[in-house]
Amino acid sequence: MRPRSITNHVLGIGCIAASLTAIFLWIPSDTSTGLVETVRRQVSVGDALAPTVAAGFVLAGGALVHHRDGTASAKTRVTPGNLRFLVVLLSILAVSHAVMRWAGPAAAGLVTEEGYRALRNTIPWKHIGFFLGGSLLVTGLISSVEGRVTVRSILIGALATLAMIAVYDLPFEDLLLPPNGDV
Amino acid sequence: MGVFDYIRLGVLAVFGGPEMFSVLGVPISITLAMILFGFLLGIATGATPGLAGPVAMAISLPILISAFGFTPDALLPVMGFLIGVMKGATVGGAVPAILFNTPGTPDAFMTTLDGYPMARGGRAGKALRIAHFSSASGDTFSDVVLILCAPFLAILVESYLDLPEKTALLILSLAFISSVIGNSVGKGLISMGLGLFASFVGTGEDFYPRLSMGTQSLAGGFPVTTAVLGVLILGEVFKGIEDLRSERRSGAAPEPVMERGDQRLNRGDIGRLAPYIARSALIGTAIGALPGIGSTLAATLGYSLNRNRYERVKSTDDPAFGTGAPEGVAATEAANSSVSGANLIPVLSLGIPGNAAAVFLILAAESIGGFNPGPSVFRFSADTVNPELVIAFGLFTAMMLANLLNWTVGGVFMRSMGIMIRVPKHILLPIVLLLTLTAIYVQETRMEAMWFAIAFGVLGYFMRRLGMSPLPFVIAFLLGGKLEETARQAFAATGGDPFFLVTSPVAFAFIALSVGVIVFSLRRKKRAGA
Repeated sequence: MRPRSITNHVLGIGCIAASLTAIFLWIPSDTSTGLVETVRRQVSVGDALAPTVAAGFVLAGGALVHHRDGTASAKTRVTPGNLRFLVVLLSILAVSHAVMRWAGPAAAGLVTEEGYRALRNTIPWKHIGFFLGGSLLVTGLISSVEGRVTVRSILIGALATLAMIAVYDLPFEDLLLPPNGDV
Repeated sequence: MGVFDYIRLGVLAVFGGPEMFSVLGVPISITLAMILFGFLLGIATGATPGLAGPVAMAISLPILISAFGFTPDALLPVMGFLIGVMKGATVGGAVPAILFNTPGTPDAFMTTLDGYPMARGGRAGKALRIAHFSSASGDTFSDVVLILCAPFLAILVESYLDLPEKTALLILSLAFISSVIGNSVGKGLISMGLGLFASFVGTGEDFYPRLSMGTQSLAGGFPVTTAVLGVLILGEVFKGIEDLRSERRSGAAPEPVMERGDQRLNRGDIGRLAPYIARSALIGTAIGALPGIGSTLAATLGYSLNRNRYERVKSTDDPAFGTGAPEGVAATEAANSSVSGANLIPVLSLGIPGNAAAVFLILAAESIGGFNPGPSVFRFSADTVNPELVIAFGLFTAMMLANLLNWTVGGVFMRSMGIMIRVPKHILLPIVLLLTLTAIYVQETRMEAMWFAIAFGVLGYFMRRLGMSPLPFVIAFLLGGKLEETARQAFAATGGDPFFLVTSPVAFAFIALSVGVIVFSLRRKKRAGA
């Protein structure tokens, strides 16, 4: 007999706890109508019913996983190594996201007087953030797999981002690359 | 307007649209050209390990919508392109499976069992020809079944099912999808419940957007693209990057295979393979018509059932299944390709997506507008033209054209795609990640949407690590709003009857089936795990 799976145990308990919290705390406090509403003697379905049913499915699924999926193969479990990878991945995404969002406005603020908003539809200003942030993202992820930063990975990141600019931005006037819809 | 008038209008909509270019003076319409481009892109995508049809569909959708706009005229070119990708990817997946023992798409795994030994034995060309012939046969059969069945099923649903029955049918579909996918009913239910829950955030009938925690970010709900692309594409990319990090493969070039002897597919071969292809096409079509059961299961079932027959009839000199039997390649490829057409039966007749490719077709229809897949599409109005029905017959025409392309240029193009194995996966996946995030931004135009997608990507990553299929999540997310709306209307129409789901015999049967399918799956999976 295989040992009980800690992953499934945690998943089951987590789903049960999360769904009970949703059903008894979150949904009642974050919806303005209940499960069923009566207005002028007309009974109708309230906004809380559907999410409560959905949380009920998560609860039932969690209970089933906890009680029945006793064992799990080595492939279906979350290890500390998986969590470390996620930290690295999300860090690369956060840094490149920040560069994508702020590099253009920062460059415009340093070099010009009118600011980024007035320039966000002109080349090269509108591409600065996307080019730097996108290159950083692609180069960072390639480097994380290769275990080192190489000139080749930097070039691939830059070329891939330029290709995306050519595909998404140059032929279409109505498409906005990040971050130009936000600034 | 009769049936034949609608068929004629559908065919004309495909052939008679705006001209893109002309060949020898013959004008080629935009839709026709888009089907061709999509088909070729699909083969190339399928032949690239690490990519699959849905990735190509996700990345190209915003570009297509920007190019063609949000008018009903855009429906056929855009959906024709996506249909081309869907069909091409299924064929292309066999290429690296046969040449390099690496399945290009998950459903081509079984193809490696006999395809690669054939290639190692100097019969790579023959294995590719068998894969293409079987795939095209299965696909064509499946499309014919779709065209014959979908309208009748839709008319049946529209004629006999009222609001309570439609609500019960949606519940049955979700119960079915969450029970049969993956190895655990519990995990299927969690995936489905989370998808429903996410679809209810920021929506509702009251002025206050429910579950938004008072924030403006959640008040509009999660955009469909962020949830679908996040869980389906980003989750897979995150997992792929981590797998590569742990493997740290050297990227050595795969061993080239040499061809020896006759590589052609002759009549004798076709006659010998035909029973296996026919059996697998039937299995794949039957499985494809049920929402949620993918082509991987069809390929496995088609392979196993045909292996039993093969063992009974084969002569002593013939190779066994798994050691280079051409029948094994034919059985797998016919089964997984015959899923694609049949998978559109629940989409077009019920509005319920059955697989990831169908999800993107629904996304395209929702983004462009003017076509709502479901039973109302097949309303044969006598006095006025039902434009949705014209589009439906246009889609059928597009599918048959894609089949025609498959039979004509598909084989040659497929056999030239062996080079795609050389695309390094650790370079490809980060580019796909940036492309997907960019595709989401150009549709939503706010950085917040990218973070929603990344959060859904993390959810999709954990689902894969925990052996939980993300498909019930995506399908429940897409159907959540429709389920709630239908239930609200049914509740109101029955005068607030809380038992509206069990008062009509048909609705009761659907609900009983929903419970039955869950209980049956629980018992079956318990036996399988014992």
